[in-house]
Amino acid sequence: MTINENLVRSVIEEVLKNYQFENNGNAVAQTSTPVPETGGLTLTEGAIAEEGRKSDEVVIAVAPAFGKFQKTTIIKMPHREVLRQVIAGIEEEGLKARVIRVTHTSDVAMIAHRAAKLSGSGIGIGIQSKGTTVIHQKDLMQLSNLELFPQAPLLDAKVFRAIGKNAAKYAKGESPAPVPTMNDQMARPKYQAIAALLHIKETEHVVPHAKPVTLDVKFS
Amino acid sequence: MKSKRFQVLAERDVNKDGFIKEWPEVGLIAMDGPNDPTPSIKIQNGKVVELDGKKREDFDLIDSFIAEYGIELSRAEEVMAIPSVDLAKMLVDVNVPRSEMVKYTIAMTPAKAAQVLGKMNVLEMMMALTKMRPRKTPSNQCHVTNVKDHPVQIAADSAEASLRGFDEHETTVGVVRYAPFNALSLLVGSQVGRPGVLTQCAVEEATELQLGMRGLTAYAETVSVYGTEQVFVDGDDTPWSKAFLASAYASRGLKMRFTSGTGSEVQMGYAEGKSMLYLEARCVFITKAAGVQGLQNGSISCIGVPGAVPSGIRAVLAENVITTMLDMEVASGNDQTFSHSPIRRTARTLMQMIPGTDFIFSGYSAVPNYDNMFAGSNFDAEDYDDYNVLQRDLKVDGGLRPVTEDEVVKIRNRAAKALQVVFKNLDLPEITDAEVEAATYAHGSKDMPDRNVVEDLKAAQEMMERKITGVDVIKALHNGGFEDVAGNLLNMMKMRVSGDHLHTSAIIDENFHVISAVNDCNDYNGPGTGYQISPERWDQIKNIPNAIDATDFE
Amino acid sequence: MNQKDMLESIVQEVMKQMSGGAPAAPAANGNTATADQDYPLSERRADQIKSPTGKSLNEITLEGVMNGSVTADDCKIRPETLEMQAQIAESVGRAAFARNLRRAAELIAVPDDRLLEIYNALRPYRSTKGEMIAIADELENQYNAKINGAFIREAAELYEQRGRLRV
Repeated sequence: MTINENLVRSVIEEVLKNYQFENNGNAVAQTSTPVPETGGLTLTEGAIAEEGRKSDEVVIAVAPAFGKFQKTTIIKMPHREVLRQVIAGIEEEGLKARVIRVTHTSDVAMIAHRAAKLSGSGIGIGIQSKGTTVIHQKDLMQLSNLELFPQAPLLDAKVFRAIGKNAAKYAKGESPAPVPTMNDQMARPKYQAIAALLHIKETEHVVPHAKPVTLDVKFS
Repeated sequence: MKSKRFQVLAERDVNKDGFIKEWPEVGLIAMDGPNDPTPSIKIQNGKVVELDGKKREDFDLIDSFIAEYGIELSRAEEVMAIPSVDLAKMLVDVNVPRSEMVKYTIAMTPAKAAQVLGKMNVLEMMMALTKMRPRKTPSNQCHVTNVKDHPVQIAADSAEASLRGFDEHETTVGVVRYAPFNALSLLVGSQVGRPGVLTQCAVEEATELQLGMRGLTAYAETVSVYGTEQVFVDGDDTPWSKAFLASAYASRGLKMRFTSGTGSEVQMGYAEGKSMLYLEARCVFITKAAGVQGLQNGSISCIGVPGAVPSGIRAVLAENVITTMLDMEVASGNDQTFSHSPIRRTARTLMQMIPGTDFIFSGYSAVPNYDNMFAGSNFDAEDYDDYNVLQRDLKVDGGLRPVTEDEVVKIRNRAAKALQVVFKNLDLPEITDAEVEAATYAHGSKDMPDRNVVEDLKAAQEMMERKITGVDVIKALHNGGFEDVAGNLLNMMKMRVSGDHLHTSAIIDENFHVISAVNDCNDYNGPGTGYQISPERWDQIKNIPNAIDATDFE
Repeated sequence: MNQKDMLESIVQEVMKQMSGGAPAAPAANGNTATADQDYPLSERRADQIKSPTGKSLNEITLEGVMNGSVTADDCKIRPETLEMQAQIAESVGRAAFARNLRRAAELIAVPDDRLLEIYNALRPYRSTKGEMIAIADELENQYNAKINGAFIREAAELYEQRGRLRV
């Protein structure tokens, strides 16, 4: 076993328990916590994503490893559930969701900003594999945002649904009350180094200058 | 059978923290990484042609920037030839004064600085920090934020924080569009508490500058720099854009410092396999090269990363020391939650508190941590008494002082009322008497009524569109009967005309006298020298309200 | 001359002085300013410190604010003052900081909105090389900001080499 595998193994065992990487799926075998359901999501990459013309769409851009090399967020929430909730939130407001994958960067602000720029409504959502999410608007500065959800360990199904709903409301020209801000000051000591590891893993899949592509999303 | 002892240990706070083993190939190593470059410099015709093992034609933007502006070339070759362990000894030697030492340290390369620190243990680094920090008088900065972005609570907390001794206050937002209100509330509250306190609002770079231009803030700090080009560019800047921004601040009479910290590059996925301290050394040199007076570092928001690897907290202290070696103000971190364990939290802070720095915390949470929108600080409002007792136990000036409940209630109430008239006279959404009352006695936002957020956000945006400036706030205060606070705000605005507070390590006292590393230079050279706690200051520190007085008994 | 004209003329005068490339505004004694002799300027050289509108520190009063004779424009720094601060910085060995203050002195004349635009244009992938050169030209020709102009030309070259221009 190489030293890298060893490290990944020990980290996963000690801290993440049953966190799943595609390449290291066997590393989780001996934990007792139930393995989350990570199937049921098929993402098929299609053509280069075009600039939308319809003002009733919100573009969701996912990060390079999302649903492909990584299957759950930092708190083991399946990516299937993340997408399902965000899309449902958008559709509840009578709008359409268009899902794309960004591979030229793993930075959540850039991913979200690209989504907004490609969105017919000018509103986009960027989601990293570990769960960090941003609602962006095409005319804002890249590092600004409409709403930022930096603490991935706090994002549950309800929050992702609310994010979808709010993004749709912005797209309709409304000024919704922001999704209530959450704060857990102890998320950092527990999760930050893990988040760094996950981000390194995601960043390994960045392809510089690659264009965003459309994603056909199938839930089963 | 399970060991009962191990069961107890497993429940301990420290075991809720995340720890990871070193992984040098991706930069998960604190100091002395196997891939860190060997220090070197070659100069031809006044130009650097090789820096830390890299040829000029291979320079990235950061190398080019540091080579052009960041190193005192006249002595560079001489200093680079001195063994790092000898330079480390000079840093600890009380017989080498700061003024002499700086001539060596500003002529190093980033890899040399990292290597010198690699020769030192934490005690030696603390000695170096005591000697090398630029301003003689140590000081402290706080965070004033809350989950609701409640303006009245910000004003009250800021006033109390002024009273408790913080010379700089920093706010940020839960919702970005609240920024103008947060900046305004902090400005008013701080000047009610103590004339001369400097305030800032940490938001996106261009917005932050705009708030400063309007006179709603006095300085800026959240101007981030990174140690690899890819991460720098992902941060949406280059060394040139950041340096231009620095000059833009100074052109408006605004104090500013940069921000960086160990772990940010690996956190963002592009550490190029280098150690955290080496990459941070590059950040410190970028800051120097940009001509910025100071730097907030000490890992800052990435503290969970160095905190999780071996020797990580030593590296965090080392980066503070490198900042002072380059003759810059250091706002030395301690501003983010880093551990569940009170023992680890205290040990980490003593590294800066005992030597004293320009700002020991670059954000002590003046609110309970659940309200801290920087995701929590290492010490918070619930630790005030612990901190005061630490100062008293060790006879160390950590920048704070004990206060009484009466004076705190009084000043919180006054700040809330001042903000109430400002909102009224600027035609912003009403602040009710109930909100003033709640803020007066509140501990945190759980004790505050909710506001109409949509209405507030609309008004905050309009406030910027209406181009409300500090002068309008002065008028609003004056018309509302707060002439003294109006006067304080005007004096803060007048600081911009002279720019005295732009200098290294500047703070402003209650008489609007600037104390900086120009007129209050650190002259430590051993016992009895440098900063000494005055008898008056010692009285303040030692008289905690709950100490029993023998004369109270028969 | 009404107040606005007066302000304009003062601003023009200041800009002319800058464009003359006049080095240092001399300190009271005619020498360069130093930490020992002149700092803090607001206390030790209060007589020489003026706002860009020509007001001295003791003319910037609360009464003035209330009767409208003092505005936000009176609470700004002028190039001569930043030059003195740069000299003070040099007198304590802070050459890089002094360079920043001199770049800043040149930027005083650039309006707030334009300054923000230029900053944003210098961010990665925002500008073509030609656009950056045009900004350098503008700073040099319109605001006589020679140091900043050279600084941005240098950036344009390096951005090109490192692929950080807008394509």
